[in-house]
Amino acid sequence: MIFHYLMRRMFLLSFVFVALTIFAFSLGYLFPGDVLSNFTGLRNISPADEIVLRQQLGLDQGYWQQYIYFNQRILDGNWALSFSSQQNVLDEILNVMPATLELASYALLLSLLIGVPFGIIAAVRKDKWLDKLISGFALVGYSIPTFWWALLLIMVFSLTLGWLPTSGRLSVLYEIPRLSGFMLPDILGSDAPYRNEALFDAIRHLLLPSLVLATYPTTVMIRFTRESMLDVLEQNYIKTARAKGLTRLQVLYKHGLRNALLPVTRQVGLQFSTLITLAMITEVIFSWPGIGRWLIDSIYQRNFPAIQGGVLVVSSLVIAVNMFTEILHTLLNPLARK
Amino acid sequence: MQLLDIRNLTLELSTPDGMIRAVDRVNLTLKEGEVRGLVGESGSGKSLIAKAIMGVLHERWKISADRFNWRGRDLLRLPYHEQRRIISRDIAMIYQEPSRSMDPTSPIGEQLAESIPDDLLEGAWWQRGSQRKKRVIALLHKVGIRDHATVLSSYPYQLSEGVCQKIMIAMAIAKNPKLLIADEPTTAMESTTQAQLFRLLASFNQLKGTSILLISHELETVARNTDTLSVLYCGQLVEAGDTATLLKHPLHPYTHALIKSVPEFQPELGFKQQLYALHGSIPTLQHLPIGCRLGPRCPNARKECVKTPIYERQQNHYFSCHFPLSGKTNE
Repeated sequence: MIFHYLMRRMFLLSFVFVALTIFAFSLGYLFPGDVLSNFTGLRNISPADEIVLRQQLGLDQGYWQQYIYFNQRILDGNWALSFSSQQNVLDEILNVMPATLELASYALLLSLLIGVPFGIIAAVRKDKWLDKLISGFALVGYSIPTFWWALLLIMVFSLTLGWLPTSGRLSVLYEIPRLSGFMLPDILGSDAPYRNEALFDAIRHLLLPSLVLATYPTTVMIRFTRESMLDVLEQNYIKTARAKGLTRLQVLYKHGLRNALLPVTRQVGLQFSTLITLAMITEVIFSWPGIGRWLIDSIYQRNFPAIQGGVLVVSSLVIAVNMFTEILHTLLNPLARK
Repeated sequence: MQLLDIRNLTLELSTPDGMIRAVDRVNLTLKEGEVRGLVGESGSGKSLIAKAIMGVLHERWKISADRFNWRGRDLLRLPYHEQRRIISRDIAMIYQEPSRSMDPTSPIGEQLAESIPDDLLEGAWWQRGSQRKKRVIALLHKVGIRDHATVLSSYPYQLSEGVCQKIMIAMAIAKNPKLLIADEPTTAMESTTQAQLFRLLASFNQLKGTSILLISHELETVARNTDTLSVLYCGQLVEAGDTATLLKHPLHPYTHALIKSVPEFQPELGFKQQLYALHGSIPTLQHLPIGCRLGPRCPNARKECVKTPIYERQQNHYFSCHFPLSGKTNE
């Protein structure tokens, strides 16, 4: 039964990916400029090369054939070259991706660690001053524009107080060999003599960007958890559990939490796309070498192959995470297995 | 000793249209070992009273009573945690919608196990687990579920409403309560299971001395299974007394109409003859009449009925009517 469900999900996922690749493929035609350049990333192609390339890409054949060739190149890792660096776009993406993933996952973790408990507290103390305080903060955090919030924090903590750095992932003083591309694991895995100092420095660099990035999802989590918890606390089975003689804490732990947090797991997946969008803004402000900044730079440079590749990867990631949380939700929720 | 003694219980809900008094000065008493029926149409406030006794009424409701005694202690005047402790120790309730009264994400076994209080288990703490399990299985057998292994590992949505109801009953009797409130316990059941359930409740009443408050809108079932009866109409108590006397000599026109509307109590009813019924329909909560709420529909209503009649007593028979039917029935 679970197997059937997974198969259905995978089937759906494959359709989404087909649609996505069709879109990415059509970008090659929709972008201004030469179609051949857009697909290969080469510029100033000589007439002799042009004939060969056209044959390779199937440009002399129908769109369907071209699309199949396009997919083959995607799967082989033989992606177009970036206009600006003349390197394979895939390699560039793999180079910048870990930075974004690291930032986004810390922000997501932060938002869960702060958002869920505060949401529960607010729900349990409904309409008391603590709830009003938490809800008030959540509303402010929800409404605050990310870029302004980031600049504000930089102004206070970096420029005025001088406690935290304004940009980058690590001070240039430290040289850490790249293993996975994720900064903290890389530092921990390295055997440099200044490992602890580097770790501390990396965390100092991480603090502001992840705080900025976590603000919005945290407030969403607080509000969502609060609503979900209040909804559950109204249910009949909570009353039954109270009548059974369980204490408030027992009711909350045994019956409240599980039912209230199930919709939250789904919410995590839905928040991920917002998170990636916000990560782009955060990366630009903090000069964080992630895919967001890379993508925005590519847009400024009219680097069409890079945009095409970046869009494909980012949307695949968002869809995959969404699907993953959806499956997780189903595995955790007996009602969804019905 | 009176187990439960409630005087002038009033439940009010403040709405945009003003205060709605859904339950208006209702008296209710229960002796130890008594089985009392609480009858009324839907919306007459039966379930509200039950929830008020359990203390699980939504906080928007305003509860007031001159007396709300549980074994001599006024529950409404006790501190909250003390009130909870007494209620959860002594009173259990079977709810109307069994499948919605169970946690949808937790298996039945867990939910049943947690309704057994620790002080009912013997032995050291490491023996409690297996004891609890044994007791859970015994409870299921008691309510007539033989296939305990499957049921214990199921989730509520996998079981039928009838089985859920039986499990609710198992949960309710798990702590050997002094008072069991059964709020329409048989609505989701087939008639054979219904009979089985009433036998179970009766045996529980006789063997353990549990008092039972049986709430229903079906007069026949209540009449068969109770010692005493209270009749509600639109949140007002119209009549209370011994079930047999009350059915034989109703003093209130509403009770009279209620009895006459049940074919079972009318042996001389002719073939295809129309059943007796009061004119009109139950007023909505927003448009309750003043005074006796039956007033506009009552065949005997007079000018005096715009004042709420006081609660009168003839031996053990209480009624609240300005013009009781006593003269008529005594003939």
